[in-house]
Amino acid sequence: MADETKPASGDSAGLSNGLVSHGDHKSRRVYQAARSLHSGAVKDLLSLGVCERCVFRLVSVEAFDSDLSSVSASTLRSWLESGDEEAASSEESSCCIVCLGVLQFVFSDAKQTLLRSECGSDYAARVTDLVKQEGHEFDSFGLEVSVPATILENERAVLLYLKGKYNSESWLQSEKISVKDALKVLVLDPLKVSLGAKSDSSSFQIRLTYSKASDEAQGASETTRERKKRKTDEENGSTSMSENSFEKVYEPCILSVHCNKMPIFFSGRYFKYSRNVSQTRWIIDDERMGEASVEELIGENILPACLGDSYKFHAAGREDIDVRMLGSGRPFLIEVQNSRKCPSQQSLTEIEEKINKSEKKLVGVKDLKFIGSQCWAMMREGEAEKQKQYAAIVWIARPVEEKDIDSISSLKELKILQKTPVRVLHRRSPLERERTIHWMKVEKIKGSSHYFLLHLCTQAGTYIKEFVHGDLGRTTPSMGSILGCRAEIIQLDVTDVKMGDS
Amino acid sequence: MEETQNIDVTKNPEGEDAIESTKQKQPEEVEHHCDEQQKQSQCEEDELRKLLLSDIGELPLSPPSAIQVNFVSYFITGFTKPGHDQYIYRHANGLCVIGLAPTHIAFKDQGGITNIDFNVGKSDRSVLKVSGKRKKNAMRSESNTALCKVSTANDSYIVRCCVKGSLLEVNERLIKQPQLLNSSADREGYIAIIMPRPADWTKNKESLITLEEYKEKKQDILLEPCLL
Repeated sequence: MADETKPASGDSAGLSNGLVSHGDHKSRRVYQAARSLHSGAVKDLLSLGVCERCVFRLVSVEAFDSDLSSVSASTLRSWLESGDEEAASSEESSCCIVCLGVLQFVFSDAKQTLLRSECGSDYAARVTDLVKQEGHEFDSFGLEVSVPATILENERAVLLYLKGKYNSESWLQSEKISVKDALKVLVLDPLKVSLGAKSDSSSFQIRLTYSKASDEAQGASETTRERKKRKTDEENGSTSMSENSFEKVYEPCILSVHCNKMPIFFSGRYFKYSRNVSQTRWIIDDERMGEASVEELIGENILPACLGDSYKFHAAGREDIDVRMLGSGRPFLIEVQNSRKCPSQQSLTEIEEKINKSEKKLVGVKDLKFIGSQCWAMMREGEAEKQKQYAAIVWIARPVEEKDIDSISSLKELKILQKTPVRVLHRRSPLERERTIHWMKVEKIKGSSHYFLLHLCTQAGTYIKEFVHGDLGRTTPSMGSILGCRAEIIQLDVTDVKMGDS
Repeated sequence: MEETQNIDVTKNPEGEDAIESTKQKQPEEVEHHCDEQQKQSQCEEDELRKLLLSDIGELPLSPPSAIQVNFVSYFITGFTKPGHDQYIYRHANGLCVIGLAPTHIAFKDQGGITNIDFNVGKSDRSVLKVSGKRKKNAMRSESNTALCKVSTANDSYIVRCCVKGSLLEVNERLIKQPQLLNSSADREGYIAIIMPRPADWTKNKESLITLEEYKEKKQDILLEPCLL
């Protein structure tokens, strides 16, 4: 009998129950609480197969205490029983008919090995091993417990039985702490010690999930016929739940431990130098479009540094696969799910260099850093309200003249109407959108009279290609309608994504 | 090979002025009077300019049009009646732009097309209101459903969908500007946009001919100077 309360040495007289006269203040309190419980109810519950800690939970008036954690079940039992040795000692192999072994610190692990712990700290040590297997770095954690629903039914049944026998007793009227919350109370402090971490509602969650071993581990809950009988009995005014309604439980629950870290975010700006790289992973009919994606080129480098499960890419706007992103770059966020560690700024700088020095030079990154909850505000800044700047190479059907350059440059805050472009009409609403071209600037290209370089600054959401070629007349005015001839766009680059003051 | 690396802006004083003057109108630049910073931003601009022109390669005299690049052209000739030739430009996303092919007999009439009326069949096609991503309220059409009637001085001709699908849009600009049909039937003078289901398109495609086949079939008409 693992008896936590015997001191190693001391001047105290041992009593027959293993209690010492001075000694541990906590266990003394528990002992006194145990002795104060309604002995009839205690005896009934113990013989039914309810475990010691559940007895405390259901019969005690005082709040369920973490002190119970350090007293072993067998010691508790001896304190609860009035000293008669005849009270049937709990068959070692049976579990509590209410909590199915949860509060007895008994469970099966993934390999179906049965594990017992005598006290909270031993249980905490086992849980700590399982947590460490997941590999997270953390200094604080939140604890979540989930137990099978039948435990609640078991408890209802047992309480009903108690009400049948001890209806008017005051201790029965008080609110009983649930098995879930009771477990948390018992193991939180030992876990804090064993993990070496604080507890708070933090970004790192440890979830203890108990699940039924099999359908037979029902515990105290009634069969359907009994439930129907009980309901009709209640209607008739008679309530009774006999001792025979409860079956023994032999199989404890299976415990699995899962750890989850809330997503962490990294921000930066990206450049896209290739006309064959999409912004996000783009697959049609099992075939990839383009040779790579910005999302993957950046995400696949950050994910391993975080030892995360997966990542999501968010960008402030987007550009087509054949449009380069130059100038000051486009703001983006990488969100990493369930990271095991947070890379240092040094590692992030190294990742940035690795991407920028890569042989193919498809994509570039700058200002890569860890970012906290202000990340979404930063993203919103780059979105709808902001202006975007582009450079396009334009061809027209007749030679470019000086008056063309003047007429284009003189247009300020030009309002255009764009019907949903044909190339996206299959997936967007057919609407007419009004947009503004803030300014334009033309540069001739040497040796070519039909081509020119067009710089333009437009409202966010403007379709530039359609503004140049007119989209069958569905964007008006267009470059072609302004110059009075057919116009085509040869290439497009984004040269600036304005972000306020950054 | 066209000179692509050097935009010779400085040789064109007016051009340079044009750039300088628009630069001053940009509010951010006005605030920085420091010489150093101006030099630096000029340097960055030059870098950017080089980059912008870095990979255009050869600039052809006449590049392919947006339609040629983004659509596959199909034709149907003599649809329900001789001389009723139409084009179907199919985009990679499945949408089909329908219009009059250059050999349509309406163009032969003196004065060309003078009027267009979308009120044919059971409803006026120009008042349909398609909304939302799912294209609610789009009229479901068969290939021989009438789209509109075009009239010339002599005669009028029915234009049909040629493609089974949902009618997303008709070009209502044609009502006020029917001459677009005469000047650019293959672009601004398009008639309608239809969205066929993939299965319907596969079947439909069999009755259409390619651009090459069309040119061959109609070569005698197409070689007349007033067309193509």
